[in-house]
Amino acid sequence: MNAFEYAAPRTLDEALAVLREHGDEARVIAGGTALVTMMRQRLVRPSYLVSLREIPGLDRIEAANGGVRIGALVTHREVETSPLVRERIPVLAETFHRVASVRIRHMATVGGALAHADPNQDPPVTLIALGARVEIRGAGGRRELPVELFFRDYYESSLEPGEVVIAVVVPQFPAASGAAYVKFLPRTADDYATVAVAATVSLEADGERCRAARIALGSVGITPIRAQSAEALMAGQRFGAEMLKAARESVKSAVDPLTDHRGSAAYKREMAAVIAGRALTQAWDAARASARGTR
Amino acid sequence: MTFTQECVIPVERERLWDFLMDVPKVARCVPGVETVETLGASVYKGSLRVQVGPIRLSLQGTMTVEEQDRAAWQARMRAEANDRRVGGGIRARMSLTLAPGLGGTRLHIETDLAILGRIGEFGQPVIKKKADAFLDEFARNLGAALAA
Repeated sequence: MNAFEYAAPRTLDEALAVLREHGDEARVIAGGTALVTMMRQRLVRPSYLVSLREIPGLDRIEAANGGVRIGALVTHREVETSPLVRERIPVLAETFHRVASVRIRHMATVGGALAHADPNQDPPVTLIALGARVEIRGAGGRRELPVELFFRDYYESSLEPGEVVIAVVVPQFPAASGAAYVKFLPRTADDYATVAVAATVSLEADGERCRAARIALGSVGITPIRAQSAEALMAGQRFGAEMLKAARESVKSAVDPLTDHRGSAAYKREMAAVIAGRALTQAWDAARASARGTR
Repeated sequence: MTFTQECVIPVERERLWDFLMDVPKVARCVPGVETVETLGASVYKGSLRVQVGPIRLSLQGTMTVEEQDRAAWQARMRAEANDRRVGGGIRARMSLTLAPGLGGTRLHIETDLAILGRIGEFGQPVIKKKADAFLDEFARNLGAALAA
């Protein structure tokens, strides 16, 4: 690993000033699970590391308008075990539970993982399906982006130079709705997914027809992918084999997998459809149960 | 890894051929090329900057034009380059063919590429997609240079 300077400012403004001053040579560090690995492999060689750990307020999970706001420094393990997240958005706790191993979950942060923009991660998939937004701070002020617009390319996010992720905001989970995260993991339990799908289904007042659905996929493209045309096909429909088949076919054309040691692009495309079908079925079942409970 | 790519450059075949065989000139159209130097009759030395996500590579190496067959509108070249800081490099063999195309000349490129060392582990899966974006930009630059 190369030699580097380390700064741990106590305010976000100070951190942003350091980033501005050192430009390209500086990198933000939070949990370090991704960055330190890349530095060890000498894939990246920053001469300045700016730690966010000493900045107060970035490590909280808060209730926000019926949903939750998760600070950038909150660890994966904290989301997984948070009573607030488990109560309001259980699928999110379940998704974070599926990330890597418990040791990594104790270190890896929510903001760091987003900024790393690895297309194989679990949380972005579920965050997209839940309609979450990323809060970003930079010298120019504060802005928000839907999670699906945050990822731009392979390991590339929409963060401009000198910008930092400060939180992710997950909206209230609607009534008569269900969600599911299905990770296809044929190798080891702590591996990246071969394909991962998160789905949410909200039902009409009749408890039968789909009012809105959201489908997001991971590990099947250079970024996480939202399958909007499949979602549109489901609106107004009742659950059934025909609808499911159409959604599965549509998912196939939404993904653009990379061939790697987990499988060929063609195999992953087929599996994306299979796993999407399972996620939709689970989400729909949960939505029905939720609709029965609220009537 | 081998892959095949095609693009259409809106000029006639003769002009495109002459331009492509002028390596220092065409190098200016290759995205990321920083320097080109002529070492011999068909050997060139140069440097190329490439970025994949957080990883910035500065590749230094040589390119050799192995065959220029104007009668068959075909050329073959070999390139080798290394990044000393990251550790790793690329070896590539390319074959170019020019054919008449709709609205210009069809440039057909076959590449056999090996990515070595640490950069291979990270970059291998995404190379094909990056290569397509790379060719799009090259084709645009080529079109612009030839229109000027």
